[in-house]
Amino acid sequence: MSEPPLILTARMHAHPETSHTIATFEATGGYTALRTALDMGREAIVEEVKAANLRGRGGAGFPAGVKWGFLAPARPAYLVVNGDESEPGTFKDRQLMERDPHQLVEGTIISSLANEVNHAFIYIRGEYPKPARRVQAAVDEAYSAGYLGTNILGSGYDLELTVHLGGGAYICGEETALLNSLEGRRGEPRLKPPFFPAVRGLYMAPTIVNNIETLCNIAWIINNGGNAYSAIGPEDSPGRRMCSISGHVNRPGNYEIVEGITWRELIYEVAGGIRDGNELKAWVPGGASAPWFVPGEHLDTEVTKAAIDSNGSMTGSGAVIVMDHTTDMVAAAERLVRFFAHESCGQCTPCREGTTWLDMILRRMLAGHGRATDPDVLYDVSDNISPGVTWPPKMTTICPLGPSAVSPVASLLKHFPEEVAAAVERGTQVPVSIGMRV
Amino acid sequence: MSDAPESVKITINGVEIEAPAGEMLIKVAEEHGTYIPRFCWHPRMKPVGLCRMCLVEVETPRGVVLVPSCVQPVADGMIVETASPVALKAQEGVLEFLLVNHPLDCPVCDRGGECPLQDQVMSYGPGESRFVEEKRHYEKPVPISDLVLLDRERCILCARCVRFSDEISGDPLIEFQGRGNTTEIFTFPNEPFASYFSGNTVQICPVGALTAAPYRFRARPWDLQTIESTSPFHTEGSRITVHASQNQVMRFLGVDNGPTNQGWLSDKERFGFEFIGSPGRLRTPMIRENGELREASWGEALIFVAERLKEIIERSGPDAVGAIGGAQGTNEDAYALSKFMRAAVGTNNLDAQLDDGLNPDFLVGVGSRARIDDLETANTILVWSADLKEENPILYLRVRRAAQELGATLIVVHPARTGLDDVAAHKFGYRPGDGSDLLADLAAGKDGFAAARDALQEGPLVVIVGRTGLAESGGLAEAVASFAGDLPGVSIMPIVRRANTFGALDMGVAPSLLPGRIPARGAEAPLVELWGAIPVSRGLDTVGMLAGLRSGELKALIMVGADPVRDVASGSRAAEAIGAAEFTVAFDLFLTDSAAMADVVLPAEGFAEKEGTVTNLEGRVQKVNRIVPGPGQARPDWSILDGIAEAMGSPIGLQSAETIAKEIATVATAYEGITWDLLEWEAREGAVVPHGDAQQPLEYVAVNAEQPQQTKGLGLHLARTLYDDGSAMRHSLSLAKLAPGMSAGLSPDHAADLGVEAGNQVTVSIGNVSFTCPVRIDPSLSNRTVAIPFNQPGIETLDAAAPISVVAGGPS
Amino acid sequence: MTDIAQWSQEAEALAEAVIAKYPQKRSALMPLLYIAVREDGYLTESGMRRVAALVDLEPAQVSSVATFYSMYKRQPVGKYLVSVCTSISCWLLGGDEVLEAVESAAGVPAGATDESGVVSPEHVECIGACGGAPAVQVNYELIEGLTPQKATELVEWLNAAQPETLNGDEMQALFGGQRSFDWAIHETDSATGPYPAFQPHGTVAPQGRS
Ligand SMILES: Cc1cc2nc3c(=O)[nH]c(=O)nc-3n(C[C@H](O)[C@H](O)[C@H](O)COP(=O)(O)O)c2cc1C
Ligand code: SF4
Ligand code: FES
Repeated sequence: MSEPPLILTARMHAHPETSHTIATFEATGGYTALRTALDMGREAIVEEVKAANLRGRGGAGFPAGVKWGFLAPARPAYLVVNGDESEPGTFKDRQLMERDPHQLVEGTIISSLANEVNHAFIYIRGEYPKPARRVQAAVDEAYSAGYLGTNILGSGYDLELTVHLGGGAYICGEETALLNSLEGRRGEPRLKPPFFPAVRGLYMAPTIVNNIETLCNIAWIINNGGNAYSAIGPEDSPGRRMCSISGHVNRPGNYEIVEGITWRELIYEVAGGIRDGNELKAWVPGGASAPWFVPGEHLDTEVTKAAIDSNGSMTGSGAVIVMDHTTDMVAAAERLVRFFAHESCGQCTPCREGTTWLDMILRRMLAGHGRATDPDVLYDVSDNISPGVTWPPKMTTICPLGPSAVSPVASLLKHFPEEVAAAVERGTQVPVSIGMRV
Repeated sequence: MSDAPESVKITINGVEIEAPAGEMLIKVAEEHGTYIPRFCWHPRMKPVGLCRMCLVEVETPRGVVLVPSCVQPVADGMIVETASPVALKAQEGVLEFLLVNHPLDCPVCDRGGECPLQDQVMSYGPGESRFVEEKRHYEKPVPISDLVLLDRERCILCARCVRFSDEISGDPLIEFQGRGNTTEIFTFPNEPFASYFSGNTVQICPVGALTAAPYRFRARPWDLQTIESTSPFHTEGSRITVHASQNQVMRFLGVDNGPTNQGWLSDKERFGFEFIGSPGRLRTPMIRENGELREASWGEALIFVAERLKEIIERSGPDAVGAIGGAQGTNEDAYALSKFMRAAVGTNNLDAQLDDGLNPDFLVGVGSRARIDDLETANTILVWSADLKEENPILYLRVRRAAQELGATLIVVHPARTGLDDVAAHKFGYRPGDGSDLLADLAAGKDGFAAARDALQEGPLVVIVGRTGLAESGGLAEAVASFAGDLPGVSIMPIVRRANTFGALDMGVAPSLLPGRIPARGAEAPLVELWGAIPVSRGLDTVGMLAGLRSGELKALIMVGADPVRDVASGSRAAEAIGAAEFTVAFDLFLTDSAAMADVVLPAEGFAEKEGTVTNLEGRVQKVNRIVPGPGQARPDWSILDGIAEAMGSPIGLQSAETIAKEIATVATAYEGITWDLLEWEAREGAVVPHGDAQQPLEYVAVNAEQPQQTKGLGLHLARTLYDDGSAMRHSLSLAKLAPGMSAGLSPDHAADLGVEAGNQVTVSIGNVSFTCPVRIDPSLSNRTVAIPFNQPGIETLDAAAPISVVAGGPS
Repeated sequence: MTDIAQWSQEAEALAEAVIAKYPQKRSALMPLLYIAVREDGYLTESGMRRVAALVDLEPAQVSSVATFYSMYKRQPVGKYLVSVCTSISCWLLGGDEVLEAVESAAGVPAGATDESGVVSPEHVECIGACGGAPAVQVNYELIEGLTPQKATELVEWLNAAQPETLNGDEMQALFGGQRSFDWAIHETDSATGPYPAFQPHGTVAPQGRS
């Protein structure tokens, strides 16, 4: 079987210096999908996307076509593109925005059309001014060229597209927090139920939230058909997806992969193996929230959604963080927990108090003041955030951020109990209290 | 409005129960005897599911899941376990998380002993803390307003205060600040939590994070005696509990009475309890001798008053005597005043309204009288009255809720900005005096009024009418009611400000009314049997009596809890009138400005010191109760009146408040069947009169009253503020300092003409009174209107009818 | 009532245009906060009051939102905000050492500003540059693949040259190394202060605003 074509990064590879311009975009078939889509009409577009079985690339992996089918009938409806990309290890959406913004804009217009949306938003994290500039420039060009605004290409269809810059808060990547943020509120996740965006989203109107990468696939699907897309890769998670690889590998970066290879192939061939000839110790298979994989158990399992799920982790944002044998795993866990504690929105008790508590215990252990009871307390506090400490998580919290902080702790206790024990043993019994980090 | 919800069957801990579909699980469980612990959930606010304390296990198609029961609507077939091992572990876990950063200062905390967190730790909590790290630290209690202190270390971030302020009171001045573990509740820097309703946040805070300055460290809950009663402050008749320790009233708390205050209180009624124990209370009768008031015994004082009155009646006839007041006390006291004036003196010169000055027949007799609960189902609400936030704050909350949460279309007509403008669909302002023109335009649906006119056609419609300000004619309210009377699905709510005005009117404290809402000329048995002959000519109202005193037509004035000098629009003329009287007697709690001029001053018992009933603005009769003795020799008004009548030789035969209540029920048709027993037991929500099948006795048709046009000079909008220089306020230490003081509200254009900006000084002259005060800019005001707050400390009383002028700058 | 200071004409005009881009006023709150930061160098109380007045909120509601986010600095910051990522991927490759280098070159710990008001080091969580770890942003312009040595040179250069505008490409060429992905596009936009260099451009005003 021949290697399937690049879908997301083809243009930036072929035109490294001008892939972001409308000229290059149009010269390489850009905006033809939009013309086709305008002729197809709403339902046919949704059908193609359903046929493609395109899964969301933001984390939850929900099929985009099915999600669109849930959009409640009330109008106005909104489309919000999630460019908050903040999950540690993830930097794929940045590349898609910086290097091929028109691909995103075209996908956004077609998706808006498919969902009877007349005002769409692209929410980009505040620390991404450069991607935001690129996207805004593309939006401006699209307005000038008649792809946006009123009566697009003479079709009678109107669409406004607003680029919105975040203010620095990971939680705004969670879709309902993002909607609150876009409404000018604190980025606190909403309760689901009752606030499912497809029914009560932005301004309580029906709203579709999709990830940047998800929408970057849309034009290709319209041009080539949903079936062509679903023919690529595994049946359950077809197409190509971006995989951000970072950490102790020789060739970190974004790779547009087809699922089905093994982790060994991904880490040793695609990413060039472990730096300095070191040994692989563990990796995070799907963004900081995902429970860890270890070579002994997982190296020869497949990189497919099905295999990752059945091994108790998740594809998540597609980010792979690789750690070699020099890594202090207690410290690595602390770094991950610290992130979630810092980014907790703070509205629900178990996450606000529990993530910080976990972080304090780990920091105390690292500071040489571990206690014999620490492993049990770590586990039980985790259990009180995420009962049963399983994945996908059960939650005492409103959103999955709290349980995300449990992942590294659970992984640490499960795969590296001897490092935990060693940290406790190193502990002097001098009582210290670890203050809160602000 | 939706139809009644269908009912569903659910199983809680193995017991099948029935409940209305969509009701939240936490509430259903509680109503069926299963208490699920909670912190953020509050029955009167939208559920938010933040604290996660109320987690329970629910069986779903996806298996058994933990859900917060405060945001889980019940659905048919739902199977719930509230105390399964998993649910209990989750609840204990949340409690432990809440304690992680909670200080262990219960022994010095105002909430100690009545703290839900403390209670739940006792019943669900872990034994010992596993948290050995350092707790979060904040500066200990910081005052965030004159009344409220905040201890952020104790706060559990349930957002009840934030939600109350935003959702219920519309003053979002206290908010979450920061994020994650360093989230705190706070105000904007240097911007105090200056809400008229701030005390409610103290009451609903589930820990001791918010405390009230007037109550701080004063008592411990286990030392308090408690009794339920009805607030003496606003006409809405808020239900409260009164707490006392060692014969001192310590605080009021709101009670959730569905038809009235729903648990909330204004800060004035919450903290106004302080006046009760004020050292300024009158303790002994006093008689003026050689120009000075001297103490006297009750015997001496009663005989003195009786003889002076008798002498004047004999010399000048009964119509030379008048009485003002009765709206501050109980129905029983008001009834006593009514009977005293008719039976012992023999005149109809009595009036309970001082400032509102609306036609009493209109107030009690208007057809299709609205209840407060009509707001819940109203499609459209027209408020053409005083600024409710200032004068009827509980009604303000209810109208706000109707407009904001229940989707009613709100139309506000008022000369200035009001507290409801931000939730109003339509707001119309006008120059005081031009109200009838605006009414005509609105009725005709003229340009700019069309949408509002259409909305008025969309019943159910509630029309709230009252006087917008003291300088405006009371006839306008009648004209508005008359117009509204023909609209489809209308109910009308005439409103006044003083607490028990409607009770006093119902007892016949009005120049034209007898107890039970019947006209003075319509007395029948058994009233006639008990009272004897009743004068039929219409008596004088407050304005008439004050004029009569000045002209010498009226010789004697009885003031019952009334302070005309501070309370009528032209106080300076009231003072003149009292000065001109041959004889004046004041029954009061304090030596008010008016009482200080009286010949005899008699100490009266006040709120919490006596039992009785009161009637709110919708006619709801509720009980008030005694928990502390009155100061010194103070007596209830009815007993003073009975004593005077006795000494005059015309006894009115009153024995106790309770026997008076029975007499009221006998003589006043509308009050038939309303007994104290009923109100204490079956009718804890109060009973609305007329009730049952009884008909409204008085039929009144509001007339399209002619409006006197003001001269084309500057218009005056003279309006009350919640806090002012009234006597209860003066003697409530915490509130006394909150009166905003004098200011001049100007339209932006008017200010620009004068060359002044907000905060600049201007000099206002009204008649021969002048004062300098800062400018407020109010874009709602018409260009030729000056808005002045009424009765502010340190300002001479004004003559509202006098011409007004404003110039930039202070005194030169 | 406290007087609310107006902004420069340019900022007021931009604020108006920004508000017009959203179906509801309040949605403009975050972009308006950036305008406030740009006006005063950081988010002042007076700036928050101005924003509150523009979107009809109480100042407490505005500060509630502003303090939720980490990028609206409520204290004065130096001319250059140097944000060092110490999240997992950067930490694995020496982010902590880069932070130490920045702190010692600036002479102040993270969260503070040097005496002359030039450099403010801070540590931040993941900035989406994990493939080019360890990474740093200066006024939100990204430099990837730093070493402690290069980080020291960066701070020295900032102190010595004190450029009025900062260009990411330029700094990357001077101090950077491994990048998250190949980059051949020449970047011209530059940061002009310790806030993200992004101005919403004037797209057509949306229809059917409420
Ligand atoms: C804590 C948390 C953080 C998230 N962060 C992001 C993010 O940065 N970007 C993103 O696209 N989705 C993120 N998501 C997922 C979104 O909630 C949402 O599922 C996604 O944007 C939907 O788009 P998709 O269906 O195209 O994947 C996050 C979810 C959670 C719970
Ligand atoms: S789990 Fe954490 S981030 Fe999510 S809502 Fe609760 S406090 Fe906020
Ligand atoms: S009471 Fe249900 S979450 Fe707080």
